[in-house]
Amino acid sequence: MSHLAHTVAVRASGVDMFFGTPENRVVALKQAGFEARRGELIMLVGPSGCGKTTLLSVIAGTLTPQAGAVEVFGQRLDGLGQEALTTFRRKNLGFVFQSFNLIPTLTVAENVMVPLLIQGRPFDEAHERALAIIEKVGLKGREEGRPNALSGGQQQRVAIARALVHEPPLLICDEPTSALDKDTGAQIMQMVRDLSRSPERCVVVVTHDHRIFRFADRIAEMEDGRISRVVDDPKLLDTTHL
Amino acid sequence: MYRLALNMLFGDRAKLAMLLCGLAFSALLMAQQSSVFFGIMSWTYTPMVNIRAQVWVSDPMVEQVNDAKPLRDTDLGRVRSVDGVAWAAPLHTSFVQARMQDGNFKLITLVGIDADTFAGAPAVLSQGRIEDLRLPDTVIVDEWGAALMGRMGVGPDGKPRNTPLQVGDTFEINDIQARIVGICRVKRAFTGGPFVYTTYDRAKGYTLGARRTLSFMLVEPQKGVAPAELCDRIERDTGLKAWTSDTVIWNWGERSLARNTFWWFWTNTGIPFSFGTAVLLGLFVGIAISGQTFYSFVLENLKYFAAIKAMGAGMGVIARMLFVQAFTAGLIGFGLGAGMAQAIGRVMIEKGMPPFVMYPQILWATFALVLGISFVSAVIGIVKVSRVDAASVFRG
Ligand SMILES: Nc1ncnc2c1ncn2[C@@H]1O[C@H](COP(=O)(O)OP(=O)(O)OP(=O)(O)O)[C@@H](O)[C@H]1O
Ligand SMILES: [Mg+2]
Repeated sequence: MSHLAHTVAVRASGVDMFFGTPENRVVALKQAGFEARRGELIMLVGPSGCGKTTLLSVIAGTLTPQAGAVEVFGQRLDGLGQEALTTFRRKNLGFVFQSFNLIPTLTVAENVMVPLLIQGRPFDEAHERALAIIEKVGLKGREEGRPNALSGGQQQRVAIARALVHEPPLLICDEPTSALDKDTGAQIMQMVRDLSRSPERCVVVVTHDHRIFRFADRIAEMEDGRISRVVDDPKLLDTTHL
Repeated sequence: MYRLALNMLFGDRAKLAMLLCGLAFSALLMAQQSSVFFGIMSWTYTPMVNIRAQVWVSDPMVEQVNDAKPLRDTDLGRVRSVDGVAWAAPLHTSFVQARMQDGNFKLITLVGIDADTFAGAPAVLSQGRIEDLRLPDTVIVDEWGAALMGRMGVGPDGKPRNTPLQVGDTFEINDIQARIVGICRVKRAFTGGPFVYTTYDRAKGYTLGARRTLSFMLVEPQKGVAPAELCDRIERDTGLKAWTSDTVIWNWGERSLARNTFWWFWTNTGIPFSFGTAVLLGLFVGIAISGQTFYSFVLENLKYFAAIKAMGAGMGVIARMLFVQAFTAGLIGFGLGAGMAQAIGRVMIEKGMPPFVMYPQILWATFALVLGISFVSAVIGIVKVSRVDAASVFRG
């Protein structure tokens, strides 16, 4: 048990999440349970509308569920106030979004610096660390350019740099490859795998894209607001409905 | 993060330009209109500046300097006998038609001063000597008036002359000759006419019809007697009204005739209303354009603010970012607008029209209003960003 406690990064159980009014209620999560371990890359897959993004948001502390327990690195998120959740995200989380979400009026380097500056790091230190990780994602020389001058794959690489620059223990990616073509998507996933590999870090990736399933250590399948099963080998999944 | 906030603002050139235009235009309108307003208002008490004396005495019904009600000649003696009066001199002011060389008429401000003391005489003569006013049929005309009347002059060849009147030139007031013996430099008046100085007795002659010609009495207090205190004594002993002559707008006392004139025009004319409307317009245009532009800037960046929120920035940090952006724009916009107002003002001062006085207080007030606009814009943006929840970053 103590061994398990050590390896568990994220544990959610009995999570209920509804949207809308009591008369017109949409159930997004229904007694959902989920577990992710340190050092692994776990994918959340399932049909559209099954609640993947909602579960990801609950784990990330951007949504507070109506019921259930959520624990991330030993810290209970349910019951935390907005301010404590904000602090939690600042310290523990890196985000990669489907639509990149890079600020177009800032340079590549400035975009990557954002998480460090939010943590209150000095500008110069943040700049230096940003340059180092931009080099790692293979965009040396593009630091002072604008994100819009880059291709989609390059922009997502900037987003990966931004998600990892402050070395968060939990990396959250929502459909990171669905705005990219097949080869670029594979390159991006390879990069996520390579750069985020660390015995302490947990990576959760929501995706529709079965072509990238091979990058997962484990795959959790969702259906109607709950995890239906978890497999180690993507071949075990029926991907016809995805 | 604040540096990035600024880069976000400066990165959007089009919005920034729009924002600055709105703020600058608003600052320009507010500063420029207020300056012209105070300029025009300062013209209303021009006689207080041009006719210098420590204490003015008038009929009790007088409310402001442009509206003299004649006193009795015997009042002069009564004032002279008030304790603390060093001397008292008569003053005549009236608006009369003067006939120019080309036969046309021009409304002038006729000022008759005491020939013994020359109390109330202009401070600066650019031509001639004040003592020459003791010669028959003589007057002193102000520079600007001399130029104005020169346009109605006739040269030796009988053709219109376009040079200002000079010492030695003549015109007529009520068919009596007025020969110029001096040109003085004085402040322009609200009524617009040239200032024509002559002696008190001759002014009587120029205004033949008038039964009474004593408009004001100019009084000098004895050493050690404060003007305001002397005013009290004169009013108590004679039943007349006495005024001090301070003309510095931010410092003038209760009894200042200039101050009372200013407020008379404030309450009895539409000047404050029309200029107030212009200033308010500037304020609303500023709020509308800048508020609107800043709001659309925030809307455009809303999903990035949401992402920043998701990454762990609290509303406090985001609010400060928006304040930095709005106030920086406000500061630059104010600088541009005030600079333009000053440049336009310089041209106006050179031309003398319209009057323009940009007190530092006007700049401070404009600055405060522009910052107010920025504040309102920032708050609207903050409310908007605070309503978007961090979870929205995964949508779209
Ligand atoms: N903010 C919201 N307000 C109302 N309903 C919502 C909201 N967010 C999600 N839902 C609903 O909750 C359900 C789960 O949505 P969610 O976005 O988690 O699905 P998903 O598995 O991520 O789908 P997709 O694969 O299309 O991204 C859906 O029926 C959705 O319409
Ligand atoms: Mg989704």
